[in-house]
Amino acid sequence: MANVALECRDLSKSFGGVPVLKGVTLTLEPGTVTALAGENGAGKSTMMKIASGQLKPDHGSVLIGGEPLAHADAHAAHRQGVAIVPQELAPIMDMRVYENLFIGRELRTRAGLLDRRAMARQARELLEVFNVDIDPQAHMRSLSVGLRQLVEITKNSSGGAKVLLLDEPTSAISDREVERLYDVVNQLRDRGVAMLYTTHKMEEIRAIADRVVVLRDGGLVMDQPLPAVTDDDIVQAMIGRELTDLFPEVPPVGEETALEVKGLHVSGYPEAVDLSVRRGEILGLAGLVGAGRTELLEAMFGVRKSTAGTVNVAGTDVRRNSPAAAISRGMALVPEDRKGAGVVLTMNVLDNGSLPRLSSFTLGGWLRQGARGRAVKDAMSSVRLRSRGMTQHVGTLSGGNQQKVVLARWLTGHVDVLLLDEPTRGVDVGARSEIYRIITELAQAGMAVVMASSDMPEVLSLSHRALVMREGSVVAELDRAALSAPDVQERVFRLAAGLDPADRATAAPSAGADGPPTGGPSRPATPTTVSPTTKEDVR
Amino acid sequence: MSTQQAAPGQQSAGTGTDQGAAARYSGAWVRDQLIRHAMVVVMLLIIAYFSYRSARFGTLENIQTIGIAAAPFALIALGQTLVILTGGIDLSVGSIIALSAMSAAATVKGHPERLWLSVLVALFVGLAAGAVNGFLVAKVNVPPFIATLGMLTTASGLAYVVGSGAPINGLPGDFGKIANNQILGLQIPVVVMIVGILALALIMARTSYGMRIYAVGGNPVAAQIAGVKTGRILFSVYAISGVLAGLSGVMLASRVISGPPNLGQGYELDAIAAVVIGGASLLGGRGSIWGTALGLLLIQTLNNGLDILVVPAYWQSVIKGVLIVAAVAVDVWSTRRRVV
Repeated sequence: MANVALECRDLSKSFGGVPVLKGVTLTLEPGTVTALAGENGAGKSTMMKIASGQLKPDHGSVLIGGEPLAHADAHAAHRQGVAIVPQELAPIMDMRVYENLFIGRELRTRAGLLDRRAMARQARELLEVFNVDIDPQAHMRSLSVGLRQLVEITKNSSGGAKVLLLDEPTSAISDREVERLYDVVNQLRDRGVAMLYTTHKMEEIRAIADRVVVLRDGGLVMDQPLPAVTDDDIVQAMIGRELTDLFPEVPPVGEETALEVKGLHVSGYPEAVDLSVRRGEILGLAGLVGAGRTELLEAMFGVRKSTAGTVNVAGTDVRRNSPAAAISRGMALVPEDRKGAGVVLTMNVLDNGSLPRLSSFTLGGWLRQGARGRAVKDAMSSVRLRSRGMTQHVGTLSGGNQQKVVLARWLTGHVDVLLLDEPTRGVDVGARSEIYRIITELAQAGMAVVMASSDMPEVLSLSHRALVMREGSVVAELDRAALSAPDVQERVFRLAAGLDPADRATAAPSAGADGPPTGGPSRPATPTTVSPTTKEDVR
Repeated sequence: MSTQQAAPGQQSAGTGTDQGAAARYSGAWVRDQLIRHAMVVVMLLIIAYFSYRSARFGTLENIQTIGIAAAPFALIALGQTLVILTGGIDLSVGSIIALSAMSAAATVKGHPERLWLSVLVALFVGLAAGAVNGFLVAKVNVPPFIATLGMLTTASGLAYVVGSGAPINGLPGDFGKIANNQILGLQIPVVVMIVGILALALIMARTSYGMRIYAVGGNPVAAQIAGVKTGRILFSVYAISGVLAGLSGVMLASRVISGPPNLGQGYELDAIAAVVIGGASLLGGRGSIWGTALGLLLIQTLNNGLDILVVPAYWQSVIKGVLIVAAVAVDVWSTRRRVV
């Protein structure tokens, strides 16, 4: 233990009388990656903020290479070699990459003017270390989120950082970018940087960490080298109970068609989309980031412009391009960007809960407070929302509970078609299994569910049927049997990426004859139909 | 509330309520309340100071004076509150006051026997100007600052056009009735102000329209997905702001029984100040009618108190500016103390 990069001793912190950290002790060794896992609200972010000097602990101390960390002084912490890459990046979008890298420590010429040439040159050198091809002259806005993150990491690790704190670095980036992030993390490890990496994704912990520590309710409940623990151990430590099964059994599909989309032309995409979903059916939408899944959902709901086609809900055509019309016909959308498009953070649970169906709680424009309160309360308790009551501001709820509000606010009235966009993004594993349960319950109650998701296990385990999308069009349809085939993940990826779909005709045979273990009684008849765009040799 | 589960990651509120019962009326509780209502405390301190310095300040007559002075500001501050709640701003209300006052004066001059017509014309002119603002913001997507800045200049120019560059004088004395007649012992503008505050406070708290305004200001994208017709809401708040400015204009013109084309100049800044002092966020979604009423009261009490103490006008301006910023700083500080 002689060699310690960062040491946290008995850290405690309370906010407004509520303890968030209760005596956490943690050491980081140089050249190691420590995964910090825990549910939302377990104290991970507070821990990171204290370790990076942004926040002063009520009790305890942080030592950097034996020296106490200057608290509440991010600059001093940076000089001591501690840097943090926050979850929500704050680059200056309209400035160039090299300007962002050098902001606050600009290089100057002898005359005291900015030395842009030197900064651009040094920026190139800094970025080259990570083998990423980013033009230092590019505007930050033109880069993808993943590349912006790498610029941020470069910026923070360049000044001789000894300790790097990464706060949920993969929450907003695509799978390909995750691989690149891993490369960068590995290089930093080789250079002897100690890293603390928060995440709640198991595969990430496995891929990158040497050691795993788990926070629960502000206390450290696990601190083990990674090989010594199983995934189940980690999950159990995180949620404090055994998680029997993440995914519930999917209920059988009904007979009646609830959603019929014909020739829907989403503005900005070349091809029209057709799809139909029956009552009780969960239709997954798979594809890479930017494949047009979000756009399709938004167009069906009317918040994104569509130029042609029909959307028919339970036998009635819905006026296109009008969310209000879609809502009154029984459609509901749970958007991808919870904070940006789902909840109104400045309003409380009651107001958020009644917003989509306000007119059903009014009489001549006046709110019927009693009916409104009862309906929202019922809806919220049906999803087991954990809040301090209806007047709690949604901004103070955890991510999982915010997502429950976004979902449950539709349940104060009748819903035929539920459109879900990344329903569990940024939601911890405990709340996640609850959300899955809610989704299947809603399907069982007769809703048709369309769920776009980048989380492959989610699509595979929860959907009766899945469509793979690429560039705004549906390139393949996989039924339940195809979804439970062993190599389906690779197949979906190839379809989504537009690669030649391997040499094998994959799961197609099993879809026909012998019954796979799961699936409803009325399974869709089409066995793995593949659109003409991918010439797969179906036998 | 749902049943408390023995779930992790939940900073339950149980402890808070238990402590609340035990600690009520203790020193910490009193301090907490003082911080929570910092603006009210500031207000009471100011009133106490003026009452101590002058015997005249607290008289019924002086309170009436404050009310009469506050009324025209109150109307535009109410409209401004709605606009600011949607995340916008209306810089044109001062000019709309001038334009509608001039239009009302011109109408009265032409039809001296029909007072109601002048009121109607003023309201219509205000509505039209507000509707143009609303159209530009909601449909053309011009930033509110720019759209209403354009209207500020345009309406101000039109006010001079109406009077051919000069004030409209020689109006019948009856025109003064609008501002000076009394209902239940209160002058009409004071009654209009009180009714306006109560009505809007009720609308904002108890109608779906009010809630939609908060939603549009808090998160326009989320509001749209929840089926709120955001364009209509935006349009309506500018239209309402315009109508209220028109009403304010005709009352001001009636008070001076003339039509000065520079009436209401700079009023928009006092209105915005009142809204912001009342705790509204210029980013939208946060604020209230009661807050605005309090902010308005603060500014008007200062004006009145400093007048009574015969503080020179230029010093009044300095003191007012400093106190407004100080009041908001205290409020920001106290908000940060409550929610870390």
